[in-house]
Amino acid sequence: MTQVIELEIPARAEFVGIARMAVSALAGVRPGLPYERVDDLRIVVSEACTSAIQAAKEGDRVTVRCFDSPEQLEVCIGAATGAFDSTLAGDGDSGSDEFRISLIRALVDEAEVRPSGSGTELRLVMRRESAGVEGDLPA
Amino acid sequence: MDLGLDVVERNGHAVLAVHGEVDVYTAPQFREQLIQLVDQGHRRIVVDLEGVEFLDSTGLGVLVGGLKRVRSHDGDLALVCTQRRILKVLEITGLTKVFSIYDSVDAAVAGDGQT
Repeated sequence: MTQVIELEIPARAEFVGIARMAVSALAGVRPGLPYERVDDLRIVVSEACTSAIQAAKEGDRVTVRCFDSPEQLEVCIGAATGAFDSTLAGDGDSGSDEFRISLIRALVDEAEVRPSGSGTELRLVMRRESAGVEGDLPA
Repeated sequence: MDLGLDVVERNGHAVLAVHGEVDVYTAPQFREQLIQLVDQGHRRIVVDLEGVEFLDSTGLGVLVGGLKRVRSHDGDLALVCTQRRILKVLEITGLTKVFSIYDSVDAAVAGDGQT
């Protein structure tokens, strides 16, 4: 069964660590994501939230929606339109943008930018190693 | 979230030990410290990453900016890092080919023992 967890943070730099911590804690609830992959997820969530914050206006918020199943953990970072234009497209105009693209592409199993409501979201997927009933949450 | 930045001088090098998490929130402090070291006239800088618990692209941008800045004054910036998780980030972004990376501060200030 898929569990849905949602978090909303102010689009400010000091809250990126909270998003990172929450998602990495969730990743460890079920088996199938070894410590090293949870570390990878922390980096990718940080990169996505940083992109979202850098594109945000005063008062904007960033949403972090997690869909946790025995097969995979899907994390969707929602932000203002255009927030992820350079995140995967390879047209980043700074060194950090280029590093961000490389890290996201290397560290998750799937990454895509898609429209979401009035904004956009970056969808990230980490597949669990031990997919199946045994990976499900206890009743 | 705290970032610790401690500077000591060793064998003609400014050694900057970084502790904690380097991300979009803490990177400005880190950047400012590197700029300050160069402005103070340090030309051989070693950044010790052994105490770093987290480093993302923002921190990498600071390191590259520091390297460019000190090289523009004919200096150099080397890293100390043995942590697999940080080395992985440096490898993915190709920065293991850009920085001299050592396995200890002793090796970095002596200029040998490069990983």
